[in-house]
Amino acid sequence: MTTRNRTPLYKKYRDALRSVRVPVASCSPSHAGPSSSASSSSSAGRGGPVIEMVSTSLLHPNRSYAPVSTEDPGNSSRGHLMVGLPPAWVDLSEEISANMQRAQTKISELVKVHEKALMPSFGDGKEDQHTIEVLTQEITDLLKRSEKRLMKLSPSGPSEESNVRRNVQGQDGLDFDMNINGTVSNMEDDEFVDVGFSEHQMSQLKRTEAFTREREREIAQVVESVNELAQIMKDLSVLVIDQGTIIDRIEYNIQNVASTVEEGYKQLQKVLSVCRENTEKRRNGYVCYHPCDNVLHYASPPNTKGDILLTKTILKR
Amino acid sequence: MVLITLVRDYIGRMLQDIPGMKVLILDSSTVSIVSVAYSQSELLKKEVFLVELVDSMSKETMTHLKAVYFLRPTSENIQKLRRQLANPRFGEYHLFFSNILKITQIQVLADSDEQEVVHQVQEFFADFCAIDPYHFTLNMQMNHIYMLPAVVDPPSSHSFCDRAVDGIAAVFLALKRRPVIRYQRTSDIAKRIAQETAKLMYEQESGLFDFRRTEFSPLLLVIDRRDDPVTPLLNQWTYQAMVHELIGIEDNKVDLRNTPKVSKDQQEVVLSSEQDSFFKSNMYENFGDLGMNIKTMVDEFQQITNSNQNIQTIEDMMKFVNNYPEYRKMQGNVSKHVTMVTEMSRIVEERKLMIVSQTEQELACNGGQVAAFEAVTKLLNDETISDIDRLRLVMLYALRYEKESPVQLMQLFNKLASRSAKYKPGLVQFLLKQAGIDKRTGDLFGNRDLLNIARNMARGLKGVENVYTQHQPLLFQTMESIIKGRLRDVDYPFIGNHFQQGRPQDVVIFIVGGTTYEEARTVALHNAANSGTRFILGGSVVLNSKRFLKDLEEAQRISRTSNAV
Repeated sequence: MTTRNRTPLYKKYRDALRSVRVPVASCSPSHAGPSSSASSSSSAGRGGPVIEMVSTSLLHPNRSYAPVSTEDPGNSSRGHLMVGLPPAWVDLSEEISANMQRAQTKISELVKVHEKALMPSFGDGKEDQHTIEVLTQEITDLLKRSEKRLMKLSPSGPSEESNVRRNVQGQDGLDFDMNINGTVSNMEDDEFVDVGFSEHQMSQLKRTEAFTREREREIAQVVESVNELAQIMKDLSVLVIDQGTIIDRIEYNIQNVASTVEEGYKQLQKVLSVCRENTEKRRNGYVCYHPCDNVLHYASPPNTKGDILLTKTILKR
Repeated sequence: MVLITLVRDYIGRMLQDIPGMKVLILDSSTVSIVSVAYSQSELLKKEVFLVELVDSMSKETMTHLKAVYFLRPTSENIQKLRRQLANPRFGEYHLFFSNILKITQIQVLADSDEQEVVHQVQEFFADFCAIDPYHFTLNMQMNHIYMLPAVVDPPSSHSFCDRAVDGIAAVFLALKRRPVIRYQRTSDIAKRIAQETAKLMYEQESGLFDFRRTEFSPLLLVIDRRDDPVTPLLNQWTYQAMVHELIGIEDNKVDLRNTPKVSKDQQEVVLSSEQDSFFKSNMYENFGDLGMNIKTMVDEFQQITNSNQNIQTIEDMMKFVNNYPEYRKMQGNVSKHVTMVTEMSRIVEERKLMIVSQTEQELACNGGQVAAFEAVTKLLNDETISDIDRLRLVMLYALRYEKESPVQLMQLFNKLASRSAKYKPGLVQFLLKQAGIDKRTGDLFGNRDLLNIARNMARGLKGVENVYTQHQPLLFQTMESIIKGRLRDVDYPFIGNHFQQGRPQDVVIFIVGGTTYEEARTVALHNAANSGTRFILGGSVVLNSKRFLKDLEEAQRISRTSNAV
């Protein structure tokens, strides 16, 4: 497995080129640049390797450049670059993974307590029972909360961003799944402990009605949590990826996007051709432009890709 | 270390050192390189949440993602990258190239990186599509070029050779070896590729190829598809080869969309020896054994299904939940293989391939011109035989009995022309011109020297196990000669003043014009038997008869127009 690192060479060239470029960048637009924009940018421009400011100051000369060079299609996207903050759902994802970690530690704690409770002891083990209950409750809460977050993550609006989100969701889902499998087994333990406990009691003491009620309540609780689990499982099965199938192939996931875009393009063209027929029927091109564009705006999803396609198709006309 | 592991390690190393959320950006060829070795869920585990093609026009800025580019160092890719670096969409850029970068390319990139977003530039030599552990392909689009002389279309021929050299070089860099190089003397294109590879390894980049010497240097043998035109023309009866011949495999994917009665999730299936253990153990089995094994698998599956049905206690439920992913996987797998085998039996039935294949094998393996002529004539007269099978039969006959009886050969040509409307006149003659007996180096039909004739007769006396799989590709003989050190220097000369001392431990055989799965099987079976020499097979594409005939037609068309001019 040979690899070759060309980074040093690359950096050498880049540094060499920068020393050439900087005077050019500050010279030619300096007459136009600082005079038109605020003076702050020119003072920051000399600064060199500062994080936030440099990116803006480097951008400004570029912007004043744009009308001259004409090779700058994405000026509008520049504005976003300066923000630099990830979208809100990233926080969600992080929260989920944090919750998962917490749940994991709790589960291991629970396992320990279980072991302790199963050991023969002279006390009645009431305390252990209590901690087990509390822990189980906490874990269920955590899982439920995470699940809700996971649902919130689900993508809205067709874009690449949503693709990323879907994928993140998938990954968190996988984590989640593993954890749940762990807990299921713990929950079962819980029940068996109860059984053991009650038999022990029965042989020793008279059964009181109060105790039976208690037991019933616990069983109901177990049933409830099993049901909850089943629900979570059901929701999650949608998210889990089928490994080893075509869905798991990388290029399938790319092609999917591409074909959807292509499909959209075809649809647009169909709309256009219908419009064109109309135009010819009316023999009045100018009037028809507006309704035609209206149709297009109506038909296209509100994302940038669609807009680009749209302008392309319109330009082709 | 085998090919798939090598590619996986490369990709793993690419992704593991970059923490945080990543987007992987590929070009059209690295997509197949990566996806045969890695799966989407494995990428997710490495926190790659988006995979894009380099020519995607999207403008969405996602500065919270780090971009990992894995591209071939072609000039188009460099241009695209330049444009994207000028308007960065992502927070960080990590550039990986699948082959050797030119100095000028590095300069161009450095020039466009005004905002200094690039963090590293690396060469990771995973420049081949590792479809099986010992079988790689380069997936070349213009594969027919190898049949044409270089003067017909110099730019295409040049790029064809370059790609082949790049691919071979990458394989050896990944293996950390520098080989001695031999080529097939009668093939110009093989010679050219061998010479350019030698130049790259021993002159231009000798520093890069300077590895620790092994006791015996490994061997690279470059041969030409036209030396064995028979193998890609035959019908196949082992699982992997058969699927490719009848349905078609592309980067370990099978497209079943055109088959009747296929459920929606089975329209495109993955057939990878890495992910599918049933396929791994059956890919080289013949069709009959495969049917038996599938039946056992279905029975097992049924048992599991039954046990899943009676869930009564919570314990059962827990078990079910735990085993559910495994169960789902098995269910998908079973229905995949059953679908595929059903479809193949349907095709075999429809095209009467049992009869056709028997005659094909007779033509390829046994003598007897008169009987062969009769059999082929009979099949040509049969209305139910498809056009492509007729064409192949005549081609096989022509290759075998080119010189024996010209009159009868002409009769077959005429018959074929009158029978099949689809038949392009002169295609068989073109094949003979390309791969006729005068052009071939190896003893394709085992009838040139006495030893081979004797061996053939001995085999004839012993009887064959299975009439459908009696054919051995020429590659088998070539491999044997290499192991025994009997590959003749006259036919397969060395490049430069290197010589083979002793038995090579690693041999890479590159077939210009494409490999077949039958040959891949031969190589894999040999490696499994473990005789001390390990073979790796590679080619410009993976052929089936359809692809081979398409290339032939394309080459014929081009050579005809160039002659007309």
